[in-house]
Amino acid sequence: MMRSIRTRLWAAGLICVSGTACSRGGGGQAADQVALFTKNQTNPYFQSIRLGAESAASQMKAGIVHYVPTKPDSIPEQMSQIEDAIIKQPKAIVFIPVDFKAMVPGVQKLNAASIPVVNLTDRSAGGQFVSFVGCDDERLGLSAGRYLLKHLNGKGNVIIIEGVGGSANSAARVRGFNQAISEFPGVKLVASQPGNFQRLQALQVTENLLQAHAQIDGVLAANDAMALGAIEALDGANRKAAVIGINGTKEAVDAIKAGKLLATVDCNGFEQGCIGVMTAIRHLRKLPVPTEFAFPQPVIDRSNYGDLDMPDAQRSCPMWEELVKG
Amino acid sequence: MKASNLGYRLGGVLIISVILALLSDAFLSASNLLNVLRQASLIFLLASGVTLVILAAGLDLSIGANVALSACLAATVIKLTGSIALGIVTGLSCGVVIGLVNGVLVTALRLPPFIATYGMLWVLHGITYWYMAGDTIYDFPPTFRALGSGYALGVPVPVYLMLGCLVAGGLFTRYTTYGHQIYAIGANTEVARLSGIPVRSRLNLVYTLSGAMAGLASVVYLARLNSAEADIGEPLMLPAIAAVLIGGTSLFGGIGSLSGTLVGALFLTLVLNGMNLLTIGANWQPLVTGVIVVAAAWVDIVARRRGEG
Repeated sequence: MMRSIRTRLWAAGLICVSGTACSRGGGGQAADQVALFTKNQTNPYFQSIRLGAESAASQMKAGIVHYVPTKPDSIPEQMSQIEDAIIKQPKAIVFIPVDFKAMVPGVQKLNAASIPVVNLTDRSAGGQFVSFVGCDDERLGLSAGRYLLKHLNGKGNVIIIEGVGGSANSAARVRGFNQAISEFPGVKLVASQPGNFQRLQALQVTENLLQAHAQIDGVLAANDAMALGAIEALDGANRKAAVIGINGTKEAVDAIKAGKLLATVDCNGFEQGCIGVMTAIRHLRKLPVPTEFAFPQPVIDRSNYGDLDMPDAQRSCPMWEELVKG
Repeated sequence: MKASNLGYRLGGVLIISVILALLSDAFLSASNLLNVLRQASLIFLLASGVTLVILAAGLDLSIGANVALSACLAATVIKLTGSIALGIVTGLSCGVVIGLVNGVLVTALRLPPFIATYGMLWVLHGITYWYMAGDTIYDFPPTFRALGSGYALGVPVPVYLMLGCLVAGGLFTRYTTYGHQIYAIGANTEVARLSGIPVRSRLNLVYTLSGAMAGLASVVYLARLNSAEADIGEPLMLPAIAAVLIGGTSLFGGIGSLSGTLVGALFLTLVLNGMNLLTIGANWQPLVTGVIVVAAAWVDIVARRRGEG
């Protein structure tokens, strides 16, 4: 549900809207200063990551600086923000590349400047990292696919709504979907079409596919926003199908509660933000960290949405021991 | 715009339609055609305002960003007050105010329209990103959503809005002095000024109308998608401007029509509909879209040359 205007404005203040960074967190300059690079200000997912990072930093008495491109996912802008960070010398960097290949030279610059870097969310194609913290997109697609197809009792017609053509996340999630479909011989994939990770495009694509196929029993969407777009299309056409998404957004949880969305696979931004920043700070304090952090990625449905049913601004990071064990 | 020119463009849409009808059984059904009309309506609502601006030799790059901010504000108001009417008024007023500011930037500050509205695009993005902070506002009352996803007499509600704007806009451009003056300004601003047309006030009017249409589109978007996010506008801007130009309106002003823009919007919608019905692979879709748009423009130019020669 929507927060009050005042909370909204307060939350807005947390991000630095300008191209340069601003610092937050209890520690200030004296404590361990961690710089967090996210892809954009528009996707709620990265907002969850930033809030998780804030929470981790305050829990561990460290400071945090945000670098967010003004133009969403801008490669040149993130590149110049890296140069800016090298001058400002944070103790460590938690880094989400706007592009997993194009940002490799940027990571190499950070390596050359001897700033330790934790790779978050999207795995970089190169460069040296303390650790990788993120979800396995192919496994996300696989668990989503298996859950939906089991729900359909292993038979029926399904469609896939892909993300952006050519993006690594989308390709891996779609591979996972297809692998799940190959495990259920009674299931027929009638179409796999791109929705560009956008709600409107997913809505229109679903509307078009509903025209072409009289019977669609399941929709596999590569993210929650597209799953919700597909649901609007089904509602508008007075058709019923089981829909599953990926990411575990608050909006998806509300749709699960309302009985509209079957499930989503949790690749929660908030906890990623927590673990990314905790890993960086632990590394600075010479505490052990894994080089690879595998998220449990549970399927969230009617039976277990409780943990996610809370605005991120009100959540706080679990303790490290709890997260690593889980 | 001469009727014959519109005929050529409609011809392009018909050719695609015939090809799709041959390749896909689903294409020619009444429900799919209504589906195409509904999908075209959102882009037409946006594009119709820009048509007026471009007819007057201006440009409005801020329409997508306008939709995003107007939709987010309308969504907030509906959530806070529970009043659908207030929400709609908010969306429309936000659109109008942005359009008016665009007009002032162009006429009073004498900025080139591209720069003025490009700057406005960034200002609006900035405000919307800051205001939403990565949030999504969703879940609106069914009565409001009917505006985007409902039907009346078997026809989707946004289609009525589209036809209403087409008729009203057509009458306005073709039969009123204002309309004629807009064409005259686009054809030659200096001559228009010398012949006593109040150029500044007419330009303010077209930018304001463009903003108002973006406001209306934002309300329809919100009702149709049942949610508002900060980044909803960006994918709308270029297709809307492309629909205007594909519809035969000259980027240099003075030539074009709203019915042409409708054809342009239908054309772009048909391309996506066709690719989905024929399940063309994700990696091919941008290429196919590009080739069809360029081919259609080329056929149109050739046909017009023949017509003139």
